[in-house]
Amino acid sequence: MKSEILYPGAFPMVRVELAEGEHIKAESGAMVACSPTIDIESKMEGGFLGALSRKFLTGEKFFFQTLRASRGAGEVLLAPTVPGEIVVLDLDGVSEYMVQKDGFLAGADGVAIDSQMQSMSRGLLSGEGFFILKMSGKGMLLLNSFGAVHKIELKPGQEYIVDNSHLVAWSTTTTYNIEKATSGWVASFTSGEGFVCRFRGPGLVFIQSRNPGGFGAWVRQFIPVTE
Amino acid sequence: MIISTPNALCFGDEFPASGAPCLAHVEGHGLTMTFLPDADACGRRSESVPFSELTVSAGGLDHDQLVATWAGATGQRTLYLKNPDLIRAFRQAAPDRLTIPLERAAEQVRQVRQRRRIVWMLVGGTLLASVLGLWFGSDLLVELAVDRIPVEWEQKLGESAYHDFLARQEVMKEGPAVAAVTEMTHRMTDTIAGNPYTFDITVVKSDVVNAFALPGGYIVVFTGLMKKAENSEEVAGVLAHELNHVLQRHGLERIVKQLGFVAVVSIVLGNQQGLGGVMKQLGIELMTLKFGRAQETEADLTGLQLLHRAKIDPNGMITFFQRLAEKDDGRVEWFSTHPMSSARAERLNAELTDLPKQTSEPFTFDWTNVRASLGAQAGGSP
Repeated sequence: MKSEILYPGAFPMVRVELAEGEHIKAESGAMVACSPTIDIESKMEGGFLGALSRKFLTGEKFFFQTLRASRGAGEVLLAPTVPGEIVVLDLDGVSEYMVQKDGFLAGADGVAIDSQMQSMSRGLLSGEGFFILKMSGKGMLLLNSFGAVHKIELKPGQEYIVDNSHLVAWSTTTTYNIEKATSGWVASFTSGEGFVCRFRGPGLVFIQSRNPGGFGAWVRQFIPVTE
Repeated sequence: MIISTPNALCFGDEFPASGAPCLAHVEGHGLTMTFLPDADACGRRSESVPFSELTVSAGGLDHDQLVATWAGATGQRTLYLKNPDLIRAFRQAAPDRLTIPLERAAEQVRQVRQRRRIVWMLVGGTLLASVLGLWFGSDLLVELAVDRIPVEWEQKLGESAYHDFLARQEVMKEGPAVAAVTEMTHRMTDTIAGNPYTFDITVVKSDVVNAFALPGGYIVVFTGLMKKAENSEEVAGVLAHELNHVLQRHGLERIVKQLGFVAVVSIVLGNQQGLGGVMKQLGIELMTLKFGRAQETEADLTGLQLLHRAKIDPNGMITFFQRLAEKDDGRVEWFSTHPMSSARAERLNAELTDLPKQTSEPFTFDWTNVRASLGAQAGGSP
């Protein structure tokens, strides 16, 4: 299985080459085009209860699509719904990543996707919700962001502060605390940041250059209000 | 040596920030890590570190990983172990110097998890209690809101609907039927202590067997109902029921319930004036309001008590209801909104037996004349 990101930038697409018999699971609706040798199946990843918890707890889709090269080798073109970059990770069987609920685009069959509950403070204040996706296993993992993706590499004990709602994915070897952006409550909110996540390494943290909630609020002001 | 699936991540200056996957083994003297061939430029190699050089702690996102740190030849190394079997083997083999702080860290992790479980249970419990509270306490909240709405305002609300309805009907202004209804009403309202309502009862010419009440004290009785009644006590029974819908403010309760929780809260907090506007917005028509089962029962029982206080024979109420329920000819509208179940009749009978016995006082009018003035055939209902 090979992947190549086409048109990198705001509107990328990823081409995944599948050998005969190989398959990839992708978010429902992610496929743009594919070779005629590819069969598209719908699958409830993690069984019915797993799919149900993913749907209701993380807001992810109930079904994933499985793209299988059952009638010979072929390629699949995948793209996310929102404008933003695609990042390719190679899971080695030990590294695990937490992914915010809209961040998953596609993954090799060996990649396991679970929904996991966060602590009350993280759920309330991290901007990612109470339930997030945990990616483990082995194989290629494709994530997408809103805006550009920036990778932060943290050494053991190294800290970095990320504004909530800008998180895409982070290693489970990292840890983070939610805290006020500034020392005072008023200044925290008047600064426009509110709460931030203080990450501590080692591990990787992928952040997105745009905040979907903030963008939504900005768009909302231009939507005409009917009486 | 064949490398099987890696089970740990090693961090250090020469490794990538995501960590180098390696196969960790617990041995008698310490830990041995075998790195995958592509993990570093040097190819596959092993590295051992004795327990004496290690410091351990709990780490990772959920504090569920064993973190071992030591000073390597090329700088500090940190190993993250997540595999439960490996952690168990480490705890068994490691000297007390390492396991004691590890147990302490594990205890802290357990406490954090326990705390998290308690917080979630508390939040879940609070949510459940709120839902149950709203479910069972909504009636209480509605009553609280209704209590804050002044009677004058309620009258204004009912008045407009009342006049709108009467404008489209043939109203009886005088005659034996109007006089009879007026007498019945006065007999009953005179016994209500502190009555805030000025009742306005209108007799409408229609064959429909019905009567209804609007908020504020407006009651309409159709001549069809009077024609159907065998005696004046039966009509008085229906009137007593309708009067009590007004007195118990049932119409207002239904409105507030239909407007919803936000309206209720705003009324409780003092914004009664906005209710009319909100009602118009939501298109709630007073004429189409249906009373609930509990309200019907309340109006029955309080109606029965009112009849008793006014020394009007309450049996008329029960027999009229029962008779009409048995004889549904499709035109008895009163029973489409007031279902007469046997349980309801039983309740009324039980209430009647509880009331002290007394001699009823007859009305001054002759019911046969009243019915005759409406064109009803003599000798009872058809």
